[in-house]
Amino acid sequence: MRLRYLVALLAAFALLAAACGDDDSTDGGSDSGDSGESAGGTLDIDAILAADLDNCTDAPSGDPIRVGMAMDFSDVVGFVDIPGSNLVPFVAEKANCAGGVNGRPVEVRVAEVGDDAALATQELLDWGAHFLIGPPFADFALPILQTTDGQVPLFVAASTEPTLADSSINSYLVSFDDNQMSSAAAQWALDEGITRAIVFTEGEGVPYSGVNPDAFMAAFEAGGGEVVSVQNYVWAGDTDFSAQVNEIAGISENNEVVFSAALAFQVTALRGQLEGQGLDGLTYVGTDALDATGIQVEENNEGVAHTPHTSISEGDPIDTLLADYEAAEGEALESRGFMALYVDSMFLGIQGMLDCGCDEPADIGAAVQEISGFDGLSGEITYAGTEGIPPKAVPINQIIDGADTLVATIEP
Amino acid sequence: MIELLQNLIDGLGRGSIYALLALGVAVVFGVMHLLNFAHGELITVGGYATFAFFSQFTGGSWWLAAPIIVVAAIVASLIIERVAFSRVRGASDFTLLLTSFGVHFVVSAIFLLYVSASVKTFPRPGWVTNTWSIGSLTIEVFDTVVIVTTLVVLAGTAWLLQRTMFGLSLRAAAADFSTAQLMGVRSDAVIRGAFALSGLLAGIAGIFWLMRAGSITPSGGIDPMLKGVLAALIGGLGSLRGAVLGGFVLGLAEVLLRSRLPDGIANLTEGVVFLLIALLFIFRPQGLITVAHAERV
Repeated sequence: MRLRYLVALLAAFALLAAACGDDDSTDGGSDSGDSGESAGGTLDIDAILAADLDNCTDAPSGDPIRVGMAMDFSDVVGFVDIPGSNLVPFVAEKANCAGGVNGRPVEVRVAEVGDDAALATQELLDWGAHFLIGPPFADFALPILQTTDGQVPLFVAASTEPTLADSSINSYLVSFDDNQMSSAAAQWALDEGITRAIVFTEGEGVPYSGVNPDAFMAAFEAGGGEVVSVQNYVWAGDTDFSAQVNEIAGISENNEVVFSAALAFQVTALRGQLEGQGLDGLTYVGTDALDATGIQVEENNEGVAHTPHTSISEGDPIDTLLADYEAAEGEALESRGFMALYVDSMFLGIQGMLDCGCDEPADIGAAVQEISGFDGLSGEITYAGTEGIPPKAVPINQIIDGADTLVATIEP
Repeated sequence: MIELLQNLIDGLGRGSIYALLALGVAVVFGVMHLLNFAHGELITVGGYATFAFFSQFTGGSWWLAAPIIVVAAIVASLIIERVAFSRVRGASDFTLLLTSFGVHFVVSAIFLLYVSASVKTFPRPGWVTNTWSIGSLTIEVFDTVVIVTTLVVLAGTAWLLQRTMFGLSLRAAAADFSTAQLMGVRSDAVIRGAFALSGLLAGIAGIFWLMRAGSITPSGGIDPMLKGVLAALIGGLGSLRGAVLGGFVLGLAEVLLRSRLPDGIANLTEGVVFLLIALLFIFRPQGLITVAHAERV
């Protein structure tokens, strides 16, 4: 009797395993890599974004494309990951409304990393994610990479950390990196005729808050500029710069560029204190951090320059998408400038699947490595011939007459 | 010399805010033996109240925002006492400590879930960065206002504790809670009073903290909490005078170290401050001021 139950149980497990197993029947090869012809079909981004959710075509019925999002909802990176994890499912809904991607529905699962990014990642892998979108910062991304063991493509959507990109383990930035970003800021300052710089850093080599100043100083001095003062501060913490301002007041000629990777409220506080000392001729340049924390809504922001990921103008595809989201969901998303990176992450993964005509994550990764000239919402993205850091143009925005205005684009 | 003088004034300004925070920590420690790691959440609550105020009233005045911050901090302090700490009154120090950590995390999570993970900003008052001069010495108006206000608040607190029935009850409860109860002191009233006073002090410190920061996040209370608790420890837990002294010492140490440490290691300021505090505790484990009874305020 027991033996009969055991056999029945094993048979049931076998049937279940067969039903749940990967269906590789659509695998048309993994060596496409040619951005022109895709083995598995085409990705029509315009059609997806134009889909009207109130008037959809027939629901796609093929095997789903599974997009895993391991996201941090804490106040470390929740300011981008929360809106990002709202927008990507919305775009997937649009894709499905438009008939899916080659007849395949797009499914998105969001797993909050909490204090265990590895566990969240495992949940997504168990679900069958074809590729992952992950949070910025090494604290979160590295456990994800350890869990995927390089076998599943990871797009670190909002990160600019060069150390997180490594195509050999299927880890990709979607943005330009810190070096490109801050070198572009230095180039812009030099182009403006500024030859002296005051730089705020958390220390040489410190991820983001130190690496960006390092890159700025290297590019500024290489371009003929002089760094006249390097000041230390606590990134995302300090709002009282009295000690630094006293020192700067003794050496400034009131014509320098002040560079930092500080957050917007820090730059405003610093500027106020410097102007309190009579230094009102300085030019302030920052990184994407100013976009993250809203330099647009800060007081005393006139003239401040920064390097957003997407310089959004009315009627742009990303602007239209964000407006669609707001209309559908009843509330606007925060961190608008970062949102194109999340949408591009999903499209890049799907493009990899189409290029290889395969469903196996490792093969998708191989195809992603060969993507070239991908026309994303955040700009043109190429991974072929790189280590996973796309060489992208860096927009320079400046607050002019209260409006965040694109004033230059520094090409890679 | 001028730069050193400016550093000293900057340090006193910063230390004044720390002193107010430390005083709030010390008052509660005195009556409950609770090292309140949720004290910074009163600033967080005040910060979001400020954000809400300026969101509703664009162009609103800090003269209106300031009392809102104070009231919000007092109310939050009383609610936290009622909801969390009253349940564990009389429990071990460790239980109280864990409860305060729990309150800290819960308050952060509430703002994270129901407001936003993003930084919320509000306008700083225009005079915050104004300066005035004595010869070649340039002094921030903000520092001047903070130092003067702190001195007035400290004098008021001393009067409250020394000259009123509430102060007498508070000091009696701190010296020996059981005996004070036998003498007719109502424990509920004293403890609530201590939390209200702690909230008041946090609210006043919060006004200046938030004026300078111009922003708040769900975890925005961590830094003020850390400074307040550290200053209270430096001064000697349980001592009001010690808390104030600890605040000024911490503020001065931060500014002077950041200004005087050589280039390249100035970013170690926080680390050096902690190292100095560790050294202090090796030689004076009781802090700068010795308290006869651990509970005494």
